[in-house]
Amino acid sequence: MTELIVNERKYKIDVPSHETLLKTLRDRLGMTGTKCGCDTGSCGACTVLIDGEPTLSCLLLTVRCADRRIMTIEGLASGATLHPLQQAAIEVGAVQCGYCTPGWLLSAKALLDRNASPTREEVRQAISGHLCRCTGYQKVEECIMAVAQRRMESG
Amino acid sequence: MIMSLPPFDLARPRTVAEACALLADADTEAIAGGTQLLSAMKNRTRAPRRLVDLASISGLDSIDYRATRGLTIGARVTLAHLAAHPDVLRHYVVISEAARLVATPQIQSMATIAGNLCQDTCCLYVDRALEQRDALGPCLKLDGDICHVVPGSDHCWANYASDLAPVLIALGATVTIATTAGEQQHDLQTIFSGEGEQPIALGRGELITAIQIPPPAPHSGAAYLKLRRRGSLEYPLLGVAAAVTGTKMIVVLTGVDRGPVIVEGTSIEDLARSASRRVHPVKNAFGYGPNYRVRVIKPLVTRAVRTAIARAEVQCD
Repeated sequence: MTELIVNERKYKIDVPSHETLLKTLRDRLGMTGTKCGCDTGSCGACTVLIDGEPTLSCLLLTVRCADRRIMTIEGLASGATLHPLQQAAIEVGAVQCGYCTPGWLLSAKALLDRNASPTREEVRQAISGHLCRCTGYQKVEECIMAVAQRRMESG
Repeated sequence: MIMSLPPFDLARPRTVAEACALLADADTEAIAGGTQLLSAMKNRTRAPRRLVDLASISGLDSIDYRATRGLTIGARVTLAHLAAHPDVLRHYVVISEAARLVATPQIQSMATIAGNLCQDTCCLYVDRALEQRDALGPCLKLDGDICHVVPGSDHCWANYASDLAPVLIALGATVTIATTAGEQQHDLQTIFSGEGEQPIALGRGELITAIQIPPPAPHSGAAYLKLRRRGSLEYPLLGVAAAVTGTKMIVVLTGVDRGPVIVEGTSIEDLARSASRRVHPVKNAFGYGPNYRVRVIKPLVTRAVRTAIARAEVQCD
């Protein structure tokens, strides 16, 4: 049995050693917000936070994630209240097809958690592991900069 | 589409000695970050029957700096941890810079320093999807008998493309290699076989447990420059590490041969000329062709050495 902590909830599951966290999240726990893009570590669609760090769930064995804090896109909003990054993504139009969105939102959260006022270059660096097949990078940058700006203004 | 991993046993040793004993078996590989290994297993270019999980061994994930002894990096330290460490930023900024040029931020937070050094060689043929490889037939790297990149070659031309290895060699790094009989230190460059098929010369049952870098000498500086098509994800098509101590200069190239290429000299011109003569890149990577990769060796070596010299001068002040 493997004990996983996903979005602050504990799950006890029985998985084979060769199952990836991506498959476990989507197929066993029904959390399909985490997307499967290339499935070999290049595109960033499967990004989740592990102990606060952006990590690729397609290249992680589930059994090696026991007792670590996993956060998926399902855990970003607080109940019905969207996270400021999600709200800003809607406002600036940073979502096109939506496939890369869950991944970069989590990378952006990790960035703002450790650096409340990033430069544009630091934002670009933080999302450099996410491929947007719609090439909508500009709006993603704007979204993250807008949240950082608002946080600074509200102190 | 979710790609399946082939089934394997996962052993979880508690000590280095137990891990070494397990690694002495055939078809067994160590897993630390797993970023390159698991992609290769999904792509069916590697198929170990058993993986030995290094995460269950304590004491391999720390960074320690002493002014007298230098830097000791545990084998399982992640590239993100290494790049952000205050002692690394203060005394070995080039290591932090190189670590931040590896792949993507997500991979940096998973991949480990020893995994990066022990990475397999890559080639546009081997890294293709299984169906495309099948259509051409197995090459030398995959236990076949031909090379699709250099037809007629009797050996594999796959590229060794670690960003950290050239930097650490230039800084004079050593590695601690453990076996069931104990531990020994070796110069980092001795772990490279120079062969595309099996670039790492570690024997069965041998495991790197730590990397040591001497304290920075007075009047020393180092730099690393990386050529790739875009500013993210990709392996270097040419990487140049330069380290300068007083009048002593060393340049180490990556991404253009089957292992790191070490060039020593006493002047920038001398180093640039020797470096461009030493390597003969072949058409084994997407992006820039061999002619361009050769042509940029001189300017990149020149720029890297100049940056290293400038840093050495700043350090004197």
